[in-house]
Order: sequence, then C-alpha cells, then structure tokens
Amino acid sequence: MIMNEADESIILQDEKKKTFPVIALVGQPNSGKTSLFNNLTNSNYKTSNYAGTTVEYGTGKLSSQFNFSATVVDSPGIISLNPSSPDEEVTIENLFHNKKFHTPDLIIVTADSTQLSRQLFIVKQLIDCNFKVIVALTMNDMLAKKDLSINEKHLGEKLGCAVVKIDSRTSKGIESLIRHAESLLEEESILPIHTPFKPSEQDISDLYDLTESIEREVLTSSKNGIDINAINDKYFHQVGRKTDSLTQRLDKIFLHPVFGMFIFIISMGIIFTSIFWIAQPLMDLIDSGFSNLSGSVSSLLPADTWYNDLITNGLINGLGSVLIFLPQIVILLIILGILEDTGYLARAAMLIDKPLSMIGLNGRSFLPMLSGYACAIPAIMSARTIPNRRERLLTIMVIPLMSCSARLPVYALLLAYLTPPDKPWIAGFSLGALYLFSLVASALVAGLISRFKKDKEKSTFMLELPAYRKPIFKFVFKNSYYKTLSFVKGAGPTIIFVSLILWCLTFWPDIHPDISKKVSTNMSKDEITKLTGTERLNNSFAAMLGNAFEPVLKPVGWDWRIAVSLISAFAAREVFVSSMAITFSITDDSDENIQSSLLTSMREAKRFGTSEPVFTTASTIALIIYFMFAMQCLSTVAVARKETGSWKIPILQVVVYTVMAYVFALGAYHILGLAGIK
Amino acid sequence: MNKNSVADLNIGDTATIISVGDDCVEIHCHCLRLMELGFTPGQEVTLLARTLFKDPLAVSVRGTVIALRKNEAECIKI
Repeated sequence: MIMNEADESIILQDEKKKTFPVIALVGQPNSGKTSLFNNLTNSNYKTSNYAGTTVEYGTGKLSSQFNFSATVVDSPGIISLNPSSPDEEVTIENLFHNKKFHTPDLIIVTADSTQLSRQLFIVKQLIDCNFKVIVALTMNDMLAKKDLSINEKHLGEKLGCAVVKIDSRTSKGIESLIRHAESLLEEESILPIHTPFKPSEQDISDLYDLTESIEREVLTSSKNGIDINAINDKYFHQVGRKTDSLTQRLDKIFLHPVFGMFIFIISMGIIFTSIFWIAQPLMDLIDSGFSNLSGSVSSLLPADTWYNDLITNGLINGLGSVLIFLPQIVILLIILGILEDTGYLARAAMLIDKPLSMIGLNGRSFLPMLSGYACAIPAIMSARTIPNRRERLLTIMVIPLMSCSARLPVYALLLAYLTPPDKPWIAGFSLGALYLFSLVASALVAGLISRFKKDKEKSTFMLELPAYRKPIFKFVFKNSYYKTLSFVKGAGPTIIFVSLILWCLTFWPDIHPDISKKVSTNMSKDEITKLTGTERLNNSFAAMLGNAFEPVLKPVGWDWRIAVSLISAFAAREVFVSSMAITFSITDDSDENIQSSLLTSMREAKRFGTSEPVFTTASTIALIIYFMFAMQCLSTVAVARKETGSWKIPILQVVVYTVMAYVFALGAYHILGLAGIK
Repeated sequence: MNKNSVADLNIGDTATIISVGDDCVEIHCHCLRLMELGFTPGQEVTLLARTLFKDPLAVSVRGTVIALRKNEAECIKI
C-alpha cells in the first residue's frame, strides 16, 4: 500500500513537470458552472475527493477540439471566499492550494447575467486575490427576455479582466473563451496570489455597492435606440432586478401552501414508483443474465471442484450482486439530475424542510430518504446534496431503516407464513404498515440521535431557488453515467471481497457429505443435488458459526438454520429466502412451488431433538421485526464507507441496528408470549 | 401588526432592508452569509411564498429567489 502511494506521488510530480496549465472553474451555485465544465471537457471526466475529505470535485482534460491542452478542475459552487461551513472551507482552501494541482493558473468564473450584482461578488474577491480571472457570462438568453443585454467590453474594463458571453446549450462563445484563456495563460503573472481576509459587514456592504454600480453601468437595452440612462432610471428596479416572470408564475403554483404540497407529494410518489417499477425488469434481466452466465461457466469447468464453485457462486454471483443495483442507481441519478437542472429539487427541499428540521434533518434529506425505499445505495449517494456535514451524516445513518426493495421478498415469505392464504388483504395491509413504520422508525432514530448529539455547526437552509429551465439532457445522461461508474469502481471491490469471504464460509471445509443413507431410489438427480447442497451447507463454517450463535438466538425462538440464513443474508437481504430454501432442504424441483414447499417445510420444522415448532407466530413476527431494523446489507456498508470517508458510520450502523433489531425481536417474542400468542 | 423583519411580510409585499443581524446574540450567526447572498441594507426584497408550515419563506432579492428559514428571515430588519 505504502509503495503504491509513493509511486502515485512520483507519477503526479512527473505529470506536473511536463504539465498542462490548470484552469479552475468557480461560480455560485446554479450559475451554469457544471454545464460549462461539461462543454469544456469531453469523455475524460473524473470525480475525486479533496485529500482527507468527502468534498467532491471533478477534473477533466480540455476537449481536443480546442487544440489547446489544459486540465480543468470543477469544484462545488461557492458564494464567497469566506467559508460558512466545513465543506466550503475545504473547497476554498483547495482553490488556493490543491495537493494535486497546486494553485490554478487561471480561474474562469461563471456569472449569471440576470443577477449581476450578486454574481460579481465572488469575481471581485478572486480578482482581489490576484488570480488571473476570466468571467463567463451565462443565462444571456434569460436576460434578453427582459429586453436587456450586458456590454461585456465595458464590464471587462470595469473589472479589469476578460469577459466572455457563453451559452452552454449551443456552445456559443466557448471557443472565444478558450482563446482568451490561452492568451492570458501566456502572460507572466506579476502579483503573488494571497489568501482572502475575513470580511466585516461593512466590507460586504462596500463590495456590493461597487458591484451594484458596475451592474448599473453595463446593462444596456437589447433593443436599438433606447437610451441606457433611460433604462437605468425607468426600468432598473422594475426590470433588471425582477426575477424571471415565468418562474414567478410557476412558483405561485409549485410553492402554494396547498397545491404546492399536493404536487410535491404526487411527483415524489411518481419518482419513487418509477425507480421501483422501471428498474424491476432491468434488474430481473441482470439477475437472469448472471445466473445463466454462472450456469454456463459452471458446465464448462470441471464439476465438483472448489474453483468451479468459487468462480460461479463466489465471483460471478458476487459481481451480479453489485450490478443488480445499477438500474435503480442510474434511474435515480437521471431523475435527480433532471429535477436539479429544472430547478424543482430546490423547491422540493424547501417544501419539506420544516418537518425534517424538527428531527435534526434538512429539507434536502427528503429525496435521499425516499430513495431509500427503493434501495439504500443510490439513496446514500444522493445525500451528497446536503451541504451541512452533520445533517448529511444523520441522513446516511437513518437511510438503512427505510424499507428497501430487498426486504420485500423476505416480508412476502414471512407474511405468507403468518396470514391465512384465503385472506391476502391481511398480508397486504401488514406490508403497508411495515412500510409506514419504517418511516416512523427512521424519524425516531434521527430525532433521538440529534437530541443526544448537539451540533456545533448551526443548521441553515438558505437555498437559492433558481429560475426554471429546461435541462440539458445530454449532460444529465453524461453525469449520471460517470457517477454510476464511480460507484462501481468505488464500492464494487469491497462488495466482491466480502462476498468471497461469505462464499468461503459457506463452502469450506469442503466436506463431501455422505448422503447415501438419505437418498432413496425414487429421488431425481435434482433432488440429490439439492440434498447434497443442504448437507454441505450444514457442515460448513457458516453452519458452525450458526451453531455458535444459537444460544443467542434461542431466546427469540430461532434455531441455527435461521442463523445460517441470517449470516448469508448479509450479502443481500433477499438471499435470506434462497438460503432458507437450502437450509430447510426444499426438494421440490418445480420453481413455482418453491414458496409453498418452503412454507410447508417451515411448518414442519422442529427444534433439534424436540417436537416444538421453530416457526411459531411469535418467532416469525420477531423475525420480521429483526429485518426491519438490522443492517443486513453489505453493499450499503460499502457505500456508506465510501460516502462518509470513514468506517465510523457503517460500523455504527451495523452495531446499533443489529442490537436494536435483536432487542426489539426479543422483546416482541416475549411480550407476545405473555399475551398468550405462541 | 408591527412589521420589523422579512418574516413579518405578507406574500407579495416589498420592503427595503434597514439592517441585517443587528440584534443577533449568537456568535455563530449566519448573518454574514445572508449579506453575502445579497441581503444588504438598502436592497428591496419581496416575499414570494410561504410553505404549508409557514417556514421556510421564499424571498426575492437582486434578481433571484432565496429560500430562508423563518429564524434566518427574522435577522433581516425592514
């Protein structure tokens, strides 16, 4: 490991020597920075974290069409050089000195031309720090809707830097921006760059007075023949400062106390169901694809060898368990990207901020939590949009409690066992209650944690509601693709590594069981294979582990076979069902009847050496309760590790939720016992 | 009603900011950030919307709209 790091730093230094100039993109949130980044770089996009933090930035090489080599660095949007959160502090520090890229050679600042006085704020701060700055004016079409335009030459003279109008949709002005950058980079820099000082209230007021006077001077009419002074006198307050009129009209509906909430609930419902239903067929496709692959690979390799089992059951199925989540991740990222680019995401966060802030969360926690109902992995990834570190960690902490789709097969089996088959509505109703309860449970946990762990960092909301715009779909797809790729690269190895460990536990010590006593002459080949599988699992390390856990599970009415299933379910919750099928030796070979034959074996299952049934009403309810809380998902552990940058949160989740799950299951089992329900 | 902060405005009302964060007691107050966002004395602000829970508020300033929690809006005196 140490060697690798040393190697990497040498390579980086080499790169620095022959190196390309570094262009940093800076701008306020929603100023069109990311669109410009997408326009400047092609398919060589890469996201990384600033050293030692979870703050993410993008890097890319300048697209070859510009005939000019440079590295482009895109950092999160900032409002000023004076940080007001730890994440902003990291972003600003890295702007001045990044371990990898050092100080940027040039800064391109994106500025929304419809709100120039606000946007010039950071421009002025950067120029005052002696950076080489080019201003890229965006949203010029929105300004034109107000019959206004900006005289960029005049603005450049006022600021003392180059100003270029760009349009990321049509790529207009991008070429000119690059040529300005090229010539500016050739110039020798005279003044040393210094870090900014912390401004006082008076400094901010003064700076705004300056940007305001500049704004007044550079705004002109886009229609001929109208005097600039006349515009300033007559329209400045009414037109120049008015927000986009379409946005105002739409917000009358979307932010309406009643209709706004109604539309919010409907649209979030649609998003949730689409993640669930659109992804399902794709997931089934991946699932069957991988089982076919493992089947055909298995038939190619010599049968009954350990490496055959390792490759098929360990590696291919392990890989499948990573890729099965891809459809949900991609769909969620695309929907999120579209919502963010249209400007609705900010409004949704605003609508739900109040109730969530009462339990220590933020309006921006809502969408990650909702996504948690589909799958915790994309949900934890989407928690990146929460700027306050503590609120982000708390959101990630409670996401595994949301009733994800992998719990569904488990609930379906156990509820089918509990409820009479002629009254399916009881099972349906119970399932609905489980979904609702997971929301209540996560709210309680979040509320409890935030009560006991007071925050030094004061919670703020202060979110700009950008003008509604049509998203640039090309960029949304591109970004979703690269984010998904970064998930596969980041969490994939961990998931495969742990699935291999689980495989070892269920395979070794590789006993070839003697099943001759149990095989009767009328058994089919499939039945014999399944019986062998059962015997093999019963002699594995996993079974030994299961036996070791039995004393702990006995008070809840479970036996070692459930323990084995719970251990294998750690790879993914739905594995519980197939693992139960193996441990309770289902020998029915028709696929449709797996569930009914599993139910029959569950009814017949007796505790070792007694006539007591394993699955009583109380022990089955306890099992459902266990699944509601337990962090039975490896992929979630891996992604929580990646997104929080440490093992603290994932270990906390595994320990706390497993203990909670066990205690609640135990409590429920005994309370039901006292109430006479066995 | 005596209107003294942005939080007291009616929807559609416009007012001019007198001061920001003058009587804030907390040291970790975010009033500097409010000013950096554009809420400086002398600016005109308009209250555009309130959500179902009356918190946060949508306030327009300098050509954009910013959602503020009620306690944040209370720092902006009008």
